[in-house]
Amino acid sequence: MSEAPFTRVGVRPIPPPRLKTRPWYEGRPVLSCAVLAVILLGCLFCGAFIPKDPAYMDLYHASTPPGGGFWLGTDAMGRDIFSMIWYGGRISLAIGFLSTLVSTLLAVLFGAASGLSPRWLDGLLMRLTEIFLSIPSLLLIVLLQAVWGKAGVISLSLVIGATSWTGVAKVVRTEVRQLRSCGYVIAARCMGAGFFRILRRHLLPNFLSSILFMVVMNVRGTIAAESTLSFLGLGLPLEVISWGSMLSLSEKALLSGAWWVILPPGIVLVVTMVCLTDIGNYLRRAAGRRASNL
Amino acid sequence: MTRKNPLFYYARKLALFLLSVFVLSAAVFYISRLAPGDPLVSYYGDRAEKLTVQERQRAEERLGLRDPIHVQYVRWLEGALRGDFGISYKYKMDVTEVIAGRAGNTLILGGTAFALIFAGALALGVVCAWYEDRWPDRLLCRVGTIISCVPEFWLSLVLILVFSVSLRWLPSSGAYSIGSAGSVPDRLVHLILPLTVTVLGHLWYYAYLVRSKLLEEVRSDYVLLAKSKGLTRRSVLLGHCLRSTIPTYLSLMAISVPHILGGTYIVEAVFSYPGLGTLSYESARYQDYNLLMLLCLLSGSVVILCSILARIIGERMDPRLGEAEGWEAAEYE
Repeated sequence: MSEAPFTRVGVRPIPPPRLKTRPWYEGRPVLSCAVLAVILLGCLFCGAFIPKDPAYMDLYHASTPPGGGFWLGTDAMGRDIFSMIWYGGRISLAIGFLSTLVSTLLAVLFGAASGLSPRWLDGLLMRLTEIFLSIPSLLLIVLLQAVWGKAGVISLSLVIGATSWTGVAKVVRTEVRQLRSCGYVIAARCMGAGFFRILRRHLLPNFLSSILFMVVMNVRGTIAAESTLSFLGLGLPLEVISWGSMLSLSEKALLSGAWWVILPPGIVLVVTMVCLTDIGNYLRRAAGRRASNL
Repeated sequence: MTRKNPLFYYARKLALFLLSVFVLSAAVFYISRLAPGDPLVSYYGDRAEKLTVQERQRAEERLGLRDPIHVQYVRWLEGALRGDFGISYKYKMDVTEVIAGRAGNTLILGGTAFALIFAGALALGVVCAWYEDRWPDRLLCRVGTIISCVPEFWLSLVLILVFSVSLRWLPSSGAYSIGSAGSVPDRLVHLILPLTVTVLGHLWYYAYLVRSKLLEEVRSDYVLLAKSKGLTRRSVLLGHCLRSTIPTYLSLMAISVPHILGGTYIVEAVFSYPGLGTLSYESARYQDYNLLMLLCLLSGSVVILCSILARIIGERMDPRLGEAEGWEAAEYE
């Protein structure tokens, strides 16, 4: 937006920018991006450096503590934990991104449809979302799983995506309701533009920045959801290695005090999520900051 | 619109509530019956597989499972309106009794957690806003963000590992030791770990909301006025800014009741805490239809009731919000 040539009236003066030049990385989530990149690349190219076959069950060395031949020890089935973390990360991250894709698509379509529709239909759709929200999501997941059969990467992503779209949809709807009376939207409508054209050309570019932060947070949420579901035995089976299914052995590990089965996958999980949150928060802050009056 | 007549206003809200509960019950009824699975397994246990075809038919007829779904639904609805929600297939008792036996545990856990979160989030939010961008605020934001990233089940595992397995200070499962169901200290000891996990899991989310809401208030014009009147920083923040965030906070907390109360499920699962969460999971997994219906209705009505309550709080306490659905705007800022 170009600055108007006349003085703005009634607008609080924006504090002058600090004169001291700040290094480019200040206030940016550089560390988080770097750590996340290491995790992502490490998981993608894990074949090049992991010392053991992550699926191989070395029953002779089951539940070995860290050290010796195994950097982070082995689980109760004799699999090397260090290798499993990198290998399983692929599945966890893939589910995270896939289900976010599903939920974002659903949210944008539903939110835009609700925002553009007349008031009564909009109200009805919003009430429906509320009812959808009031069905416990765990129940929905159990039922959807029952319909789709045995959990795989794709079906689990679909299930998680299908149960986590409401938050973004509400934001999209609110934004669209504000945008729908804008001149260019009305003009486009008058020229006979269809729903998808208006959505893609006029609405999406405008509300993208306000949902971007939520989308990043959604990746975080879906990764957590996958691990929780797999931990509870509702998600991926033990043979499909992911961070969640690795942790599903931890009930047994608790009894034997095998901390190395519980801590490493969880720490990697938490680090990934902290990085995502940090990036998400940066995106949110970038939206705008005003000076305090206090 | 019709806000002049309070009777009409509340009647409308009530009608909305009843309609929502009705739609919810129909939805859950259809979804649960359409999902594949054998309710007889939960009734007969493992014996269900050994039943002959005739025995199966007779059993299904007796439980009324052979009629078309809408007939079953109407029958269920008639019973429910008379207060008869049927029996649980698994426990062979009235579902109301099954639920009543467990509800107390969940209410204690959820209620205490809710109170702690409510007070703690407010306090943390105020502290953060007071020290905006100075070290206490930054520290709290850092720590809070990290803790809110830890999945609840893993936090539970780590706490069990540290406090039960290594240090042996606290029990790792159940709501009470065997044989001492009535003893209060024993229950409290069992409550510590599940409560910690529930509170830590939610606290920062709400504290951060209070913080950002307060920081937004701090940037509005009346603060300049209050300052030029000579009010202290403290009385501006606590007396004016905090006060005007309260309606939003209250309606947000009303929304969060079901999240916190019902979100105890994972904690209940890890700590084998006998509550409603475990019960609803079992009933969904093993097609215990009647139990599932009542549990969903209960949790669903709490959700709908709370969201209506939140809207009433918003519209009544803070006229600025009006029909703008203030909490929705607040939630995603």
